[in-house]
Amino acid sequence: MMTRLFRRPLAAAHAIAGAAFVAALALPGGLTPGAVAQDLTDAQAIVDRASAASYYQGPDGRARVHMSITDAQGRERSRDFTILRTDIDDRDNGEQRFYVHFSRPADVNGTVFMVWKHVGADDDRWLYLPALDLVKRIAASDERTSFVGSHFFYEDVSGRGPREDTHSLAQTTDTYYVVDSEPKDPSKAEFARYRNYIHKDTFLPVKTEYFDGQGKVYRTYTVEQVETIDGHPTVTRARMADSQIGGATVMRYSSVAYDVGLPQDVFTERYLRNPPRQHLR
Amino acid sequence: MVTMSEAAMSRPGRAMGLAAFLSVVLIALTAVPSIWPQAVPALHGLKIDTDPENMLADDEPVRLFHNRMKAAFSLNDLIVVGVVQEDHPQGVFNPKTLGEVYRLSQAAETLTWDEEDGPAGVIAADIIAPDKVDNIDQAGLGSVSFNWLMPAAPETPEAAQAVRDKALALPMLDDTLVSGDGRALALYIPIREKNDSYRVAAALRDRIAGFDSDATYHITGLPIAQDQFGVEMFKQMAISAPAAMALILLLMWLFFRNLNLVLSPMVVAMVSVIGAMGLLIATGQTVHIMSSMIPIFVMPIAVLDAVHILSDFHDRYPQIGDRRKTVRAVMEELWRPMLFTTLTTAAGFASLAITPIPPVQVFGIFVALGVIFAWAATVTLVPAYIALMPERAFERFRRDAADVAAHPEHIGWLGRLLQGVGGVAYRRARLVLALFVAAVAVAGYGISLIAINDNPVKWFRADHEIRVADRALNERFGGTYMAYLHLGAAEPRTVASVAGDLRERLAALDSAPARRLAERLDQQTETATDPQALLDDLAGWVADAQAAAGDADWQAWEDAAMAVERAAQAGDVFKDPAVLRYVAQLQAALEARDDVGKTNALPDIVKTVHRELLGGEDQAFRIPDSAGGVAQTLITFQNSHRPQDLFKLVTPDYRQAVVWLQLTSGDNAHMRAVVDATEAYMAQNPPPRALDHDWFGLTYINVVWQEKMVAGMAKALTGGFVAVLILMTLLFRSPLWGLLSMVPLTVTIALIYGVIGLVGKAYDMPVAVLSSLSLGLAVDYAIHFNVRSRQIQQRLGDWHAALTHVFGEPARAIARNVIVIGAGFTPLLAAPLVPYQTVGALISAILVCAGIATLIGLPALITLFRRWLFADAPASQPAQRRA
Repeated sequence: MMTRLFRRPLAAAHAIAGAAFVAALALPGGLTPGAVAQDLTDAQAIVDRASAASYYQGPDGRARVHMSITDAQGRERSRDFTILRTDIDDRDNGEQRFYVHFSRPADVNGTVFMVWKHVGADDDRWLYLPALDLVKRIAASDERTSFVGSHFFYEDVSGRGPREDTHSLAQTTDTYYVVDSEPKDPSKAEFARYRNYIHKDTFLPVKTEYFDGQGKVYRTYTVEQVETIDGHPTVTRARMADSQIGGATVMRYSSVAYDVGLPQDVFTERYLRNPPRQHLR
Repeated sequence: MVTMSEAAMSRPGRAMGLAAFLSVVLIALTAVPSIWPQAVPALHGLKIDTDPENMLADDEPVRLFHNRMKAAFSLNDLIVVGVVQEDHPQGVFNPKTLGEVYRLSQAAETLTWDEEDGPAGVIAADIIAPDKVDNIDQAGLGSVSFNWLMPAAPETPEAAQAVRDKALALPMLDDTLVSGDGRALALYIPIREKNDSYRVAAALRDRIAGFDSDATYHITGLPIAQDQFGVEMFKQMAISAPAAMALILLLMWLFFRNLNLVLSPMVVAMVSVIGAMGLLIATGQTVHIMSSMIPIFVMPIAVLDAVHILSDFHDRYPQIGDRRKTVRAVMEELWRPMLFTTLTTAAGFASLAITPIPPVQVFGIFVALGVIFAWAATVTLVPAYIALMPERAFERFRRDAADVAAHPEHIGWLGRLLQGVGGVAYRRARLVLALFVAAVAVAGYGISLIAINDNPVKWFRADHEIRVADRALNERFGGTYMAYLHLGAAEPRTVASVAGDLRERLAALDSAPARRLAERLDQQTETATDPQALLDDLAGWVADAQAAAGDADWQAWEDAAMAVERAAQAGDVFKDPAVLRYVAQLQAALEARDDVGKTNALPDIVKTVHRELLGGEDQAFRIPDSAGGVAQTLITFQNSHRPQDLFKLVTPDYRQAVVWLQLTSGDNAHMRAVVDATEAYMAQNPPPRALDHDWFGLTYINVVWQEKMVAGMAKALTGGFVAVLILMTLLFRSPLWGLLSMVPLTVTIALIYGVIGLVGKAYDMPVAVLSSLSLGLAVDYAIHFNVRSRQIQQRLGDWHAALTHVFGEPARAIARNVIVIGAGFTPLLAAPLVPYQTVGALISAILVCAGIATLIGLPALITLFRRWLFADAPASQPAQRRA
């Protein structure tokens, strides 16, 4: 989950594809028992399950993330952070809270980004900057701004609401549901549509392609590695490439854990200045 | 040479046919690959080059640096769309106009296409337009907001005003996107390749044509200027040059009253121009602003010798009465001056090959070739042409001569004028000399006033749309001329310095993990050669140790690991608040100058974000006090829609940064002044940490090539002068006559440049190149005058008597040349590009000046120094009568 947290399920989002890790996906032991279960045909239902599989595994979760940002000229920057997540009332596709604590680069060590994700309303976001000893609420008209300078958007990390788009099932293959999604409010999205390749067994979107108004793919999310952790198929490496600005960001997840028992008050303003160290290792 | 003329005359048809054949072959050789480039890949087609950067060789260090920096900071060529609305009280900030701007920007984003080597057209992610940039401001209590500045076209006047007010509050946009008076705005549309600009601009113009607000849209920017320049260059070659030719033809007809005959110099000019330009294209050279002027330079020189022949033929035909015999007599008399004028002119232009500017080298070499072609064509085609004409065609010459013989007062205004001039020069030789010396003295003073300056935008006429847009935008915005000051960390970063720094940090921690890491550090330092590799090794080692450690030690290991990270970041010079404050002070010092409209640099982003984080008050518009504060401010900025904008001002390793200057003038003199002022500022106010600095950007490249050109021209002119002096001395077998022949060109060059200095015209590219033309043309008249003077003096043995003859046919030929060619170049004054106008005006001035110096100065000097000049004359004469 966490991982997924991060990888955003983008609401439905992501997609699939790539053959290489298909092998990894094919085995997730627990999830596919009845395997040959009936294929789903309701696109919205598929997307809801994909969102749940990507962002809502277990009641809470934790992961350490190493993010490597490579720009168009091949220059690399990195960030390390820990993500804590809790689901309110352990409800799939419901309210969630995230606590993102940065440790590297050294000069942003202690920076915290906190989100209260709401369904059907703007999220609440906070930023804590230790060098300025400043807690700031962040307001933004849309959630498609860069996440700390990477190719991932803020929304890719917290998850795009499954109800923000109109979904249609383009194709069902042996392995994937291929779902096309168009934004209900085009003014809040820079894409014209996106296509998700959702793995039929795990419901993890393993590839997502974003199309511009001219029908060209300009942004591609690819899952590069999936591991089953605590029984949950978990994306442990994912890439986001953007041909408009060039380059790509890769996120690697480690120390992933579910059902950690995070106290709810960790996700409050007073923990911004005093990180819950025992949960961040 | 006389042999060549004889041969041509005996087979005139064949000579003309051969010239026509060669011309057609050259035209085909260049036209075919131009029109069907795939059909004949081995041949070179016409290649137009309008890139001013190419004034320097592409491996010139300043260009390599420029290209490296453009890549490092992701800078691209920009199309600038300025939107100005005078009559609306809110300027362009009204719903209607902003609606158009919004639609234009949305359309610009789609102007991309794929070419064989990848995507082409607009770089959508980097467009600067109201709907494409982020606004950062306050959003209620304790809240900061990142939003598109203009997410949609505003619907009310208040909303339109709000867009303006927000942009004016952002230093990066004020005076760049929005004019300082808040009434105009500019869109900056980056394109991948300069060549993409034509298609993009055409699409933008289409879109703008459908708008009906009262706003004026100016499309400009360097790529647009270059496209326009190419168009104007063709106009010049297709209209101005032929117009000059037509006028020359008309003037010759007025002198010789024989249309058929005066066509022959035109044939010579055509053949020479086709030869020079054909070879230029066929050898794969590009047609550049310089080489596009080759026809204009070759034409007068090509016509010059032919006019001498026609003039002499016209004057002697009546006595000889047979066209072939007359031609033979004329050629015997003229072969030597024509050969030498050709050699000296060619030498003058060939000397440009020693300038360090490749287009100038090409120009010099191919004009020199054209001059040689012109000579070959003149001595063969003009006689052949005359041979093809019937004897009766020249009947009129005989009648005119008979008329003049019977009525000496009918010699015409030119004849009378020249006789008068000759008389004055003889009788008032000292006065003439004194006047010349005085003129040269004044010219010397003028030369001392010469200001070296150029500005490629000013190559367009003042009423050209590029200049109009340029003025409209520079009046309102920070400036459209971009220059970039690169600053780079220069403090040495060695294994020893990095290890020393880390050792101190670990010692301060005073923990067991820190001590173990310090041991590892000491071990590794002994063998490490690269500080970064050392730090990477330590980071890996400490991460492993931390992973293996128990919970109790975890934090101590984390602190040790952090010490390694901090040591690694110590080299991030452009996160150091002291460095950023220094850069901001340097910016302020530069912005205080009139020629700098605005600067943009990293401190502007840091201060703006810091202000908004701290509540939006002015006192928070400052650099934070720690590197961490800077880093955290910047990571906040990177949560915007366009985090990549940061790396247009600093590299991701924070060791290089640029100050982007918007200059209100593209004059090289202004750029040079800004460079010098920066130099002085940095010398007086050393940066807090060692910084290298250097410049790039086209405005700066222009300065570099101009400075190379000025120095190169001085060398070329000196070299050409010496070469011509040697040739003259050889021709006359007399150093004294050699020196004498240099007088008209010396006076001409002095006067031309003296006047340029006195009237305050900048010494720019065309002015510099014309020194070679002066050298080549002015010596021509002196050669003709001196050779003929010596011939006649030898025949008559008396200078006073000889002078009367010299001021007959020989002087008439020179005067006709001055008038025909001098007036013939005035159509260039109507050319669409200023360098061509300059060239036209100066060619005329040079010819008139050289004509006067030759026809008045030389007879006066010969009169004064005849005792020495003619002392050994008889001994040197026999050589002249060889056939």
